[in-house]
Amino acid sequence: MPLVAAFACPHTPQLLVRPETEDRDMVLRVHAAYGEVKRLLEATRPDVICVVAGDHVEGFFLTSVPALAVYVGASVSGKFDRYRYTFDVHEPLARTVLEQGIERGFDLTYSQDLALDYAFFVPLHFTMPEPRVPIIPLFVNVYLPPQPTPARCYAWGQALRGILDARPERVALMASGGLSHFPGTDQYGSPDYEWDRQMLDRLVAGRGSETVTLTAEELDKAGNVEFRTWITLLGAVGPAKAHVICYVPS
Amino acid sequence: MSIHYTFPPASGYPLNRCLYQLKSDDAFRERYLKDPEAALREAGLDPERIAALRALDRDKLLALGAHAYLVFMASLRLKMATAPQAFERF
Repeated sequence: MPLVAAFACPHTPQLLVRPETEDRDMVLRVHAAYGEVKRLLEATRPDVICVVAGDHVEGFFLTSVPALAVYVGASVSGKFDRYRYTFDVHEPLARTVLEQGIERGFDLTYSQDLALDYAFFVPLHFTMPEPRVPIIPLFVNVYLPPQPTPARCYAWGQALRGILDARPERVALMASGGLSHFPGTDQYGSPDYEWDRQMLDRLVAGRGSETVTLTAEELDKAGNVEFRTWITLLGAVGPAKAHVICYVPS
Repeated sequence: MSIHYTFPPASGYPLNRCLYQLKSDDAFRERYLKDPEAALREAGLDPERIAALRALDRDKLLALGAHAYLVFMASLRLKMATAPQAFERF
């Protein structure tokens, strides 16, 4: 069955655990946008949400750094600050994604035991439809160079779409990450809003395939290493035109 | 070459491992808050690295091979542990 929905969301931890330095009204505006995503997820009735996110050196440390990975288990848990969370995983479909992905030439890593990073939790905390549905965590390495190239991420998204289209489940895709930000660097206070706006214009015009020409250097420079999760999603949705629910520079 | 997030050199591994524990291992973070010197010695760090970590001297830590994101989050987690009232939960 074709995808029923595709979203790209931030996972900014300040949306969950807000320090006094962040503007409360701005945080609530983004919560409202998440509410819109939740409403759309409930309207499109997915059987499963495939979440493409970058691990923040939480589930995978330097003991092993997979470029692309799939979590294939019955459920997955993690913690962030005071939050403890567990999600059911759609194990049969996760296994199909892994097996078919390998078959299609993507040398995926898989895990049956890891701590689920907040990059997965934050958007799901706000958007999980009711009744809840299982997820499939899909990992793209974004913080530990060398990361997969944008072209590879896009190709993986295309392959993922092919795998999902051949299945009976109604699938929603969610990319978690971005946009421009530089956690832990000198540029933390100066995101590249112009890069973001130009990219959003391209996506609204259905020109997501142009992201295959981006380079690792450009993403790093623009504070958009996490944009690889969006590129993966763009590979899956092809020329579909994006609708921007919310973009709030902070 | 990436400028913000760079390849972590093997020489920085003990430091990165310690930062990772401060970020993600609640028990280690509690031991650190109780007795920083002992926790960092337990982590196998030398005096130079212990001094840099105790001061949360970002530039020095990066120069020693620490990953920028791990420095950021370890520092943040320590702040969240010591001043939880400065954060609102949703």
